[in-house]
Amino acid sequence: MIRNGVAIDDTFAEAFGMRATRILITALNLKWAYHAARAVTSYATSVIGCGCEAGIERELPAQETPDGRPGLSVLLFAVSGKELAKQVERRVGQCVLTAPTCAVFAGLDGEPVNLGRNLRYFGDGFQMSKVIGGKRYWRIPVMDGEFLCEETTGMIKAVGGGNFLVLARGQSEALAACEAAIDAMSKLPGVVMPFPGGIVRSGSKVGSKYKALAASTNAAFCPTLRGAVKSELPAAAGAVLEIVIDGLTEADVRGAMRAGIDAACGVGAAGGILRISAGNYGGKLGQFHFRLHEIMQ
Amino acid sequence: MTALALTLRSPPARQLDLSALIPERLSGLNATQVGAIPLQDGSCVGDRFEIGAGDAHDLVIRNSCTLLTHIGAGMRSGTITVEGDCGACAGTAMNGGRLNINGNAGALAGSAMKAGMLRISGDAGDFAGGAPDGERQGMRGGILLIDGNAGDRAGERMRRGLMLVGGNAGAYCGANMLAGTLFVAGKVGTMPGFSLKRGTLLLAHAPEHLPATFRDSGEHSLLFLALLERQLLLDRRTFARFLPLGKKVRRYCGDLAWGGTGEILVFA
Repeated sequence: MIRNGVAIDDTFAEAFGMRATRILITALNLKWAYHAARAVTSYATSVIGCGCEAGIERELPAQETPDGRPGLSVLLFAVSGKELAKQVERRVGQCVLTAPTCAVFAGLDGEPVNLGRNLRYFGDGFQMSKVIGGKRYWRIPVMDGEFLCEETTGMIKAVGGGNFLVLARGQSEALAACEAAIDAMSKLPGVVMPFPGGIVRSGSKVGSKYKALAASTNAAFCPTLRGAVKSELPAAAGAVLEIVIDGLTEADVRGAMRAGIDAACGVGAAGGILRISAGNYGGKLGQFHFRLHEIMQ
Repeated sequence: MTALALTLRSPPARQLDLSALIPERLSGLNATQVGAIPLQDGSCVGDRFEIGAGDAHDLVIRNSCTLLTHIGAGMRSGTITVEGDCGACAGTAMNGGRLNINGNAGALAGSAMKAGMLRISGDAGDFAGGAPDGERQGMRGGILLIDGNAGDRAGERMRRGLMLVGGNAGAYCGANMLAGTLFVAGKVGTMPGFSLKRGTLLLAHAPEHLPATFRDSGEHSLLFLALLERQLLLDRRTFARFLPLGKKVRRYCGDLAWGGTGEILVFA
C-alpha cells in the first residue's frame, strides 16, 4: 500500500487490554488546570516503569465542566484495576489537591475508583461531604479555600499500546511527520499518546542479553545498527520514530492510528518519509491486533 | 393515560391515615379493588372517596383537607398530587417518586424521607424534613421543596438530602442537623442551626440572631455552590425562586458546642 509515495507495511500493531479512567480537572483558569494536569500526567509514559500511562485528552470549555470553570480531561491507563486505583489516588493527591484553585471530578461511568474517598482525610475531620445530583463530593479545607473532589471516578476496560512507526530519511523529517500526526490525533476524543510530545524514539523489543531486563532496544529499527543486526530498515532510512496510542476503546485506537498515519503520509515521500510500519511481538502477547492495511482502507 | 383521581366525598370526623394509597400499591387494581382497600379507621377507600378511572402511577387526591395524614408515606415510585391542604406526615419516609401538595402541609412533612421529591406549594408545619417520633434522624435523602413558609424546627436532625424553603422558616431551623443542605430563601427565626453537628444551613438573608456558639469564618466563594446551582438549573422552573445562587457567602462555623464542623452560609 502506497500513500503519497510512502509505503505502508503489511503488518500490525499489537496492543494490550488495560484498565482506564478519565478525570476532569478544573481551575480558576486554564493555566492552572494545565499545571495540575501536566503534573498528574508527568512520568506516566509507560506502565513498565511508571505504573500507569496518562495524558491530557482535551481542553474543556467552562460549559462542559461540572463546576462551570475551564478544565482539562485526563486519561489514565494501567495494567490492572488495583494499580490504576493506586496511581489515581497518588497522582490526584500530590498533583491536584496541591494545585491552587483546582478541583477534580469523575469523567467516566464504570467500576468505581477512589478519587476523593481517601483524600478527604487530609481534611483532618473538617472535611465535609455533599451529595448533589446523586453524586458525592468532598470539600476539603485547604489554604486557598476548599479543594472540591468527587468521591470516585469510573474505571473501564480499555486498550493500551496501539502504535505505528515512521521511517524517514533523517531525524528532522521523522519528527516533522510525527508532529503532524500528533496534531491530528490530539483532536480525537478517547485517546492519549503518553510519551513526551506523544512521540517515542526508544522502541523496544521483548527480552535482552542482560537477564535482568525484560525489554531492550528495538535493534531491527535502529539505523546505527544496520549491518550489525538483521535490520528492518532500508538503506535510505536515517531515523525512526514511534507513536504509541492508548484508547478507551478499540475503535478509538483505530481511529487515532488512521488519523495519525494519514497525517504522517501527508508529509509524504517529498518530505523524506519512506515507510510506515508498526510494532508487534509476533501476535502472541497482545489481545488486540491493528492491521495497518485494514485501518487505512 | 389519565391520572387515577380519588375525590374525598366529605371531610372525615377525625384524622385519616392515607399511607395505604401509594402508586405502587394501587398499580394494577381496578376501581372496585381500590375501593375495597381498608383504611386505618375501619372504613374503606370507596367509603371515603369517589374513585375515577386512570393510571395509579399518577394518583390525584382531590378535595383534600388537613385531616388527611400520611399521604404518600413510604411511596417509592410514581406521582401523587394533592389538591388542597393535607395533614401531618405527608411524604414521611418516602423513598422515591414525586409528591406534589398543591396547598399547605401539616407537621412532619417529608420527615425521614430517603429519596424522591416532595413539593409543597403552600406552607409546611413544624418539623418539616425532621425526625418522626422515636427516630434519631430526619430527612435522609431526596429533595423537599417548600414554596411557602416552614414552621419551627425545619430540618431537625436532617441527615442527608436537600431541603429548600422559598419563604421564611421558624425557630430552631436546622436544629441538631447531622448533614445535608437546608436552603432558606426567606428569613429564619431564632436559634438557626442550634446544635448543628455537620451539614449546611444556607441562608439568603442574615439571621437577626445567631447562636453564640457560631463563629464568623469570613467571606468565601465555595465551589460546591456552583455544583448545587447547576443541579437546580436542571429544573429551572421548579427552583426559579432560588436561582441564581450568589457567588459569595459569609461562613459561620458551628455549632462549636458540637465540634464546629457544620456551617451556616449567608449569601453576601
